[in-house]
Amino acid sequence: MSRYKRELSVAGALGLLLLVLGLFAPKFFDPANLRAVAVSNAPVLVAALGMTLVILARQIDISIGSQFSICGMIAGLLAKQGVPAPVVALVTVAAGAALGAVNGGLVAGLQLPSIVVTLATMVTWREALRWISEGQAVQNLPESFLWLGMSRPAGQAFILIAALALLGLFAWALRSLPAGRAVYAVGSDAEAARLAGIRPRRVVFGVFVLMGALTAFAALLTAIQFRNVLPNEGGGLELKVIAAAVVGGIAVSGGRGTVWGALAGVLFLGVIGPALPFLGTQAYWEKALQGSIILIAVASDAINLRQRRDVGPGLAH
Amino acid sequence: MLAQALPTDSKPRLRRLVLSHEGVLALLLVAEVAVFSVIGRNFWTAGNAFEIVRLGAEIGLLALALTPVIVTGGIDLSVGSLMGLSAVLFGKMWRDGHLPLPVAAAATLGIGALAGLVNAALITRLRIPALIVTLGSFSLYRGLAEGVTSAVDNFTNFPDAFLFLGQGYFFGVIPAQLPIFAAVAVGYYLLLHRSAAGRGLYAIGFSPEGARHAGIPVERRLTLVYLLSGVVASLAAVLYVSHNGQAKADAGTGYELRAITAVVLGGTSIFGGRGNVHGTLIGLFAIVVLQQGLLLSDGPAELAGILVGVLLIVAIAANRLIATLAARRKGE
Repeated sequence: MSRYKRELSVAGALGLLLLVLGLFAPKFFDPANLRAVAVSNAPVLVAALGMTLVILARQIDISIGSQFSICGMIAGLLAKQGVPAPVVALVTVAAGAALGAVNGGLVAGLQLPSIVVTLATMVTWREALRWISEGQAVQNLPESFLWLGMSRPAGQAFILIAALALLGLFAWALRSLPAGRAVYAVGSDAEAARLAGIRPRRVVFGVFVLMGALTAFAALLTAIQFRNVLPNEGGGLELKVIAAAVVGGIAVSGGRGTVWGALAGVLFLGVIGPALPFLGTQAYWEKALQGSIILIAVASDAINLRQRRDVGPGLAH
Repeated sequence: MLAQALPTDSKPRLRRLVLSHEGVLALLLVAEVAVFSVIGRNFWTAGNAFEIVRLGAEIGLLALALTPVIVTGGIDLSVGSLMGLSAVLFGKMWRDGHLPLPVAAAATLGIGALAGLVNAALITRLRIPALIVTLGSFSLYRGLAEGVTSAVDNFTNFPDAFLFLGQGYFFGVIPAQLPIFAAVAVGYYLLLHRSAAGRGLYAIGFSPEGARHAGIPVERRLTLVYLLSGVVASLAAVLYVSHNGQAKADAGTGYELRAITAVVLGGTSIFGGRGNVHGTLIGLFAIVVLQQGLLLSDGPAELAGILVGVLLIVAIAANRLIATLAARRKGE
């Protein structure tokens, strides 16, 4: 049980928040509201799964907001051309994987720092999209694409099931597949992993490709919820997702954390915003609270860790 | 050892200068200016040159503040958010608190110092990675700005004497913020390149443990750079308010990543231990000239961002290549 200490403490905090909500604002548990909160957080969870892999491998990707915007626009444009939804999904995810491969190629192939590479690709892709789209949204998506042509509740159920299925898949893969263990190994000590017969560069390239594909899927799950796709839909997603991972106890120094932590982080940060109005507080304080949660989570972690290990200050990669 | 402190290279000085990262970047900047002087309208004028400084001042201040932070191997993602918080608190102290503007401005710098100290305390006392600490305060400071103003309150109608700071000209040509920007640049130059504390920052960037064994007060030095980063972000906020004539919670959104881009383009290593103030200035102006030049030659504004992104990757890839080749040559 101590293995999941961090995940459990975040889950405990989330439980406490839900308890408070249950006592003071039972309306929060109105099925329609709960469903809305869950559906709006499902794409964040999907992106957070990718970020978990990237951070576990001791890398970071701050370009996913731009990737998300591009993939959402691609999905919207294809859907508008009347392309069938499965093909749209396939092309979108492939496009995301290709964008991720660019990051992966530069980081793993040329051995460049991922924070700088993805900073550069974030800017490049964002501006390229703004240039091509001229800031225009893709409007009036066809009925066959909205909720994938299903009814609204069925579409919402599909989104939740898809996100949870991916969560289960990655939880299993990271725990039980050699490739999953390799991600931890590379993130803990790339040189040791290499000596153990793992190819760190391949693993790093792979996590960036998966990050891109998952970001694209998250964009797709968002695009089918609305009539329009905005070209700046993904702005700020990168820091939101990194924050969720960090709150969930995934260490930026690599090799430590689980997707369950990412789930707890996404839920905690995702519930606090919608919960505020129910507790009689203005929604404007959402970001301040989220910031405090991040700082409290990492500070308590650090205090726990301090007795055990000495980590130098500075930027952990 | 600190490579920069001991230039053992016997190559002629000029050649070393031109072949350095900043040298290549400076040549690129010259090329940009040459191209835009030919294709841009009114690019090659003193007025435009000063306009470029004005455009670069706020992000430039952040970039200057981030240079020593990144040299120590750290990062400060909270500077853009702190600009938003400083801007609205500045507006609030003046409009609702009825403080005279100079007093409000001074208090704003104090708030910046406090915000910087919060970052520093978490980084040095609890030893949390700077990336994570400032990701949290990135969210916290912006959130406080939004909470205080309910995300809509906008402070306007500042007196002309204050707006002069961001919009006026000395002698008709020199933008009023230029002396402030220059003073901060000189201050950071002296800190990084002309003081013992500055040498210590490079040592910390190379190896915090090594620096500690060498007797450098690592915690105190780190506290200094994050504190200064907060103060300078607040200063940038005051200039921003004066420049735009309004203070809203969204002031400075996204500025942190733009400032980091200028610093890294200027040759400062994201891993710490290497970098300098003049590189940051050249990197900053390479970006601002590109933006302004494309504007004056009716080019697409987005092209500036795309080129900056590509340039950033080319710059670090070239650095990497040169380092690899040098290491190989040494090995022979």
